Amino acid sequence: MRQWVPEFYRTIRRYLKLYRVFLSQNLKEDMIYRSNFITLVVMDIGFVSISVILFKIIYSHVNTIAGWTFHQSVILIGSVGIIREMAYLTFRRGFLELGSHIRTGTFDIFMVRPIAPNIHLAFRHISLSESLGESIMGIILVGYGISHLDQWSWINVFLYILFLLNSLMIYYGFSLLINSVVFWVIKTQELNTILYFFMETSRYPGDVFRGIGKVIFTFIIPIGIIATVPASILIGRIGWHFAMISLIIGISFLTAGLLVWKKSIEHYSSASG
Amino acid sequence: MPFSIQVKKLSKTYEYFKKAPGLAGSLKSLFWREKLYNEALKGISFEIEEGELVGFLGPNGAGKTTTLKILSGILYPTSGDAVVLGHAPWRREPAYQKQFSIVMGQKNQLWWDLPAQESFILNREIYEIDPGTYQHNLGELLELFDIKEIIDVPVRKLSMGQRMKCELAAALLHSPKVLFLDEPTIGLDIISQEKIRDYIREYNTIKKTTVLLTSHYMRDIERLCRRVIVINNGTIVYDGSVDDLMHSYADHKVIRLTFSHEYKEDNLGKYGEVVERSGLTVVLKASKKDIARSTATILSELPVEDLSVEEVEIEEVIRKIFNTLTPLKK
Repeated sequence: MRQWVPEFYRTIRRYLKLYRVFLSQNLKEDMIYRSNFITLVVMDIGFVSISVILFKIIYSHVNTIAGWTFHQSVILIGSVGIIREMAYLTFRRGFLELGSHIRTGTFDIFMVRPIAPNIHLAFRHISLSESLGESIMGIILVGYGISHLDQWSWINVFLYILFLLNSLMIYYGFSLLINSVVFWVIKTQELNTILYFFMETSRYPGDVFRGIGKVIFTFIIPIGIIATVPASILIGRIGWHFAMISLIIGISFLTAGLLVWKKSIEHYSSASG
Repeated sequence: MPFSIQVKKLSKTYEYFKKAPGLAGSLKSLFWREKLYNEALKGISFEIEEGELVGFLGPNGAGKTTTLKILSGILYPTSGDAVVLGHAPWRREPAYQKQFSIVMGQKNQLWWDLPAQESFILNREIYEIDPGTYQHNLGELLELFDIKEIIDVPVRKLSMGQRMKCELAAALLHSPKVLFLDEPTIGLDIISQEKIRDYIREYNTIKKTTVLLTSHYMRDIERLCRRVIVINNGTIVYDGSVDDLMHSYADHKVIRLTFSHEYKEDNLGKYGEVVERSGLTVVLKASKKDIARSTATILSELPVEDLSVEEVEIEEVIRKIFNTLTPLKK
């Protein structure tokens, strides 16, 4: 125990420092294409606005969807944006680039450095701009949603942030599992499209799925609960037991993802040269 | 001297699937695939001492790169054993990874859009080089490779030669004990090739770093290494000194001539062995010893417009090794 704790602390500190250095290099790279940067932000804000307007139209006919009011749904949409940006700030773009790294053999570089390949891959492609507009909109929407809630507390906000992190963990574990396939099958672009599609469905409350659909979206493909759980916690419409289950799912997915990924890497066959 | 690298009966077999062309083939391969095997390495063994500079020579697909990839932990071997600096490479232990470097001529490791300096800083963090050592090593490498002026220019704006120098510098910042170079001079012009060779040799002399270098250019090996391992079809066919190899197998050069006007006479045999003759061009093979005399005679006796003398290609040396004898050891 005595040896394990400082070692763990050292590793965390090392990776935080690496993150900082990689982030700054990625930002420098981003800034080279500044016009692209601005376009992305503007486009994101546009897309989020459209989906808010769509919800507004639907809610002009009904008061609730599966028990969710308009302002609660706004919090949900905002949460999706925040999670997505968190993912882009950590691992998301790395996975999008993984297929091409493997096809061209540049994944070699991740195999030879004294840093875990999954972390190196993630840090190599940190992207601030990819989803920045969406997260700005996300924070505004969540704030706006909260201000219209009947009741809220700082404890809920704290739990909300905690469960956002849990959602990120689920998302990461899930991405690791899906992308591990790339070491057997070379093309993953399609896989990421599927993943993106599931992220899209998380815009709608998990409650709209019933029966088998709910089982699939909660346990097998957990994207359904990625945004729903933190949003539900914030608005106080979720019980402790479900929150605990979501934490367990988070830890299980991360563990499974890391194990499968580690095993799959052994299958890397490099591009012959 | 202790060994840096020990390889014993190392084998690597790639598995791949046969796929019929076209969409129908792709669909069919989803359900039924024929597994094929490609034996890239067939149980090779060799040892390299600390500080040695060894050339790994062979045609494309011979197994050179596969060996380097196994030794750097990129690939798992199918069978056999390898120990580098006391580690099994494929376990990818950070303690090992901090002690070696691999530079691949065809793979860019520097950040394309940023100056090389930024990649250096990243490597400092990745390899946990302490600031004092980093400054010292960086200063030394900038001096040695003469790249002070170009490290703040975005990598994409550099010439291939400049980029390779920066790649090498980035790989050497953490003072690796073992350096793997995979085709470091590929695609470079002659002058840059020479420079890169000089730097590698100089670095090896100063730092006593063990260097294993692959190439299919004879020139790389000739200029850099005292020892060469020739590999073909996944087997080592020669392991010994470069001098011996050159004397025994590459004892002649190739003379390529173009006549100024048609030359019909059949007396070219006396200048050298005719390899090829078509229209105005002729390719001759002449003994290395009297290459100067042969060219002088040709120039004075034949209506020559253009003449060049070239090294024998490595493929031919290897073919010759195969023709003369079965695998030999030093």
